[in-house]
Amino acid sequence: MVVRERGIGVNLGIELCGIPLETPLMPASGTLAKEALGEVEGVYGAMLPKTTTPTPRAGNPPPRVAETPAGMVNSIGLQNPGVERFIEELDAFDLGIPLFVSAAGDTVEEFGALCEVLGSDERIAAIELNLSCPNVECGGLTFCAGPASVEEVAAVCRAAAPGKPLLAKLTFEGVVENARAAEAAGADALTVMNTIPALTVDAQRREVLVRGGLSGPAIKPVALRAVYEVSRAVAVPIVGSGGVASGVDVAEFMLAGATAVQVGTASFVRDPREILEEFTAYLDEVGLGVAAEMTGGLRHK
Amino acid sequence: MRLHGVPVEQRREVGRYTVLRYRWPGPVEPGQFVMARAAGYPVAFDPFLARPFSFYDHDGEVASLLFEVRGRGTALLDRAAKIEVSAPLGRGFRLDPSVDKAALLGGGVGIAPLKILGRQLGELGVHHDVFLGFSDAPTATAAEDFPGAGVATMDGAVGTHGTVLDAIPDPKEYDAVYACGPNPMLAAVKHSVSGLCQLSVEERMGCGNGSCNGCVVPVRGGGYVRSCVEGPVFRAEVLAW
Repeated sequence: MVVRERGIGVNLGIELCGIPLETPLMPASGTLAKEALGEVEGVYGAMLPKTTTPTPRAGNPPPRVAETPAGMVNSIGLQNPGVERFIEELDAFDLGIPLFVSAAGDTVEEFGALCEVLGSDERIAAIELNLSCPNVECGGLTFCAGPASVEEVAAVCRAAAPGKPLLAKLTFEGVVENARAAEAAGADALTVMNTIPALTVDAQRREVLVRGGLSGPAIKPVALRAVYEVSRAVAVPIVGSGGVASGVDVAEFMLAGATAVQVGTASFVRDPREILEEFTAYLDEVGLGVAAEMTGGLRHK
Repeated sequence: MRLHGVPVEQRREVGRYTVLRYRWPGPVEPGQFVMARAAGYPVAFDPFLARPFSFYDHDGEVASLLFEVRGRGTALLDRAAKIEVSAPLGRGFRLDPSVDKAALLGGGVGIAPLKILGRQLGELGVHHDVFLGFSDAPTATAAEDFPGAGVATMDGAVGTHGTVLDAIPDPKEYDAVYACGPNPMLAAVKHSVSGLCQLSVEERMGCGNGSCNGCVVPVRGGGYVRSCVEGPVFRAEVLAW
């Protein structure tokens, strides 16, 4: 997408895993429902719906969200209708842009079976493996936790969906080791990062309010650090995610090493269109005409 | 979510509640809500989220919200000269002109949607009685906005001693009941009435447009649905309360 801002042409297009995207922005998984798609036309380079799982999940009992300083803690529990219905209703997410699908399972086998289904669907441009949801107990398995399990899951998914670009979404803990493991197993890109484990407490009732994952601007510096470290450790492209709330935030993530950037919690209180407009204005202001050239473009002191 | 900056045209207090008025031309269903926050440029990070508020009233041109100051978000909203609001959201009360006699039940700050609901039922010519429940005398002052309403207070300071259900002589004489209030009150209403019953639920919300799955309520048959897009008004029999 070429935008004319104050007379200067700005090219927002990027390429991710060989897929051309008209803008470097996409929604973070689980933050854009099909009911809200009308609001984002022309903003995102790719669509990314809420995580799908092999079988339907009711999700966690409420309360599921709690506001915190500059962010929120959520514990949704991957509520979703299961992959069968997800595929039936997939066309609802067709915005005429590449469709990325977030996938999660409880076991390595579930991940593999899911990727087989998603990998064979031509409407799906890429699969993002949700290896890091903090709100789901993995049936006693902790395979999301370390590089060995990340590598195992990524390798099984790689084999199950040949030719389909695969992104591994990682959590902050051990992010560099897990990034190397995912890359070694054949992941084409890494989404860095998911929410951070967090807790809110209701002091009046002396109860836990929400035990879940922290998102929003509060985690932006942590996510930037993760993107920065991972970009120096691996060769595959990075999709930055965590607290992006403005166009300058997008620039910061790209400078730190991200090829594309996800917008999540901030889209609850801002029109993502404004974030893209701010990013465009930033590029214009600094005299950069090509968004893709931002990636890893930090100057060395 | 697109939030629109609008000036507050009028602020007044009704008992312990605040009513803010702002211009909003266009249709509003009773029971619909907005996500609202005090304006901050470009975006205020703390408090970060907008809050859901039912429409208190809307005359086609000017909308009003009624809320209680509970935390920092509502405290800032209470003093704001400019607020940010979403377009009307959610599914409101389904109004049936064939209803003979409707009861409108509100508990605490849940009285909010009854004002616009009463207005629209009146326009349809549906006879309706209003019953309001409050915790104490200061909050019960809000009943002055509802002339003729039956009132109950938990401490007995004003009206009937007890809950809003104690203020109704016979809940079963109504062929339609519309209620909004704390969820335990709504569950009690559901089990006390006969005929059509619609409940506007209160849940913590993240986004307001269906995206975050935060504001769910349990439904009969298992599982949860989002109160922001499938609700906030539900037919009572749908809810697993």
